[in-house]
Amino acid sequence: MRWRHPVIVCLISALSLVPAASAGGGVSVRDAWIRETPPGMTMMAGYMQMRNNTSRPQFLVAASSSGFESVMIHRTVVKDGMAGMVHLSQIELAPDAGLIFAPGGNHLMLMNPRLALRAGDAVVVKLEFRGGLVLPVTFEVRR
Amino acid sequence: MNKISLKFSTMITTVALAAMLAGVWLAEIYRQHDSRAMLLPDRVMTLFPDPKPLTAFALTDDKNRVFDLASLKGKWSFLFFGFTHCPDVCPTTLAVLARARDSIAKNMAGAEDIQFVFISVDPNRDTASKLRQYVDYFDATFLGVTGDSAQIGNLAAQLGATYQVAITPGLENYPVYHTTAVFLLDPRARSHAVFTPPHDAEAISKRFKVVRELAAGYAT
Repeated sequence: MRWRHPVIVCLISALSLVPAASAGGGVSVRDAWIRETPPGMTMMAGYMQMRNNTSRPQFLVAASSSGFESVMIHRTVVKDGMAGMVHLSQIELAPDAGLIFAPGGNHLMLMNPRLALRAGDAVVVKLEFRGGLVLPVTFEVRR
Repeated sequence: MNKISLKFSTMITTVALAAMLAGVWLAEIYRQHDSRAMLLPDRVMTLFPDPKPLTAFALTDDKNRVFDLASLKGKWSFLFFGFTHCPDVCPTTLAVLARARDSIAKNMAGAEDIQFVFISVDPNRDTASKLRQYVDYFDATFLGVTGDSAQIGNLAAQLGATYQVAITPGLENYPVYHTTAVFLLDPRARSHAVFTPPHDAEAISKRFKVVRELAAGYAT
């Protein structure tokens, strides 16, 4: 099939980009992804690049998803040469600054997926901020 | 052009020439001894000057076979301690190790004498079949190993690996802490080197090539 209308192609390209970035209430998120796990594993980690576009600090206080039994904000810390995870009750986004969730650092711990997730799948995770802002972000499952 | 600036430009030219010659000389040194020159201390790997032979230990692999000192002999072994309920560090490291293995197998003859072993410090949850399924995902050649806590502790202590399993009654997802280093054992089952995080597949593969060449050099 040949695309005769460049406008349609552009529209489709634009739509396909939507899951890659979310923004609302002055906080934007991009490059949100979940690491695919071996089959049968119940713990997954989600990563993203957040940005606070306001001049006030913002606090991520919770996350939830209909795709998982529970979601927690975690950070991998290394102490005495041993890595472990700490649960964070909230995480601060400094004014007009970015905050990275990446392997070996901050991550969303996603427990007990309701369906087996494979690379290429997408899951919406709702990020909740102090003050009531809820930002739905589409995470792409990647190998 | 006055005298001072002439002197100055002569000096600059001399310095530049010296730097060029030094560069050529260094490049030649690298070419001749490239393996050795790359062993300058770095943050990727620590090479033990006097590799320590391991003593007896007894674990079980993901096919319920014995995994002991004999399993390490005749092969270079990359050992990593972790657990399958680990969402961040373990999959990240195993993915890097899978790429490192690909790179080693592609660039070097004799990838048959290397093995990658994932040692679960959480035998309570990590059964043989679960371990097989887990490591298989990253690389079909990887081996999953575990055992009773005394024997895991035995091997970990010999390597200088540390871990802590905080089993908490009623808590399904109890915390586990573990060393993030990757240990390299030589074919004589000696603790030969350790790779420290952040791990990088290319860096591991390059340094392993050097280590193996050096070890072959000593053997002859």
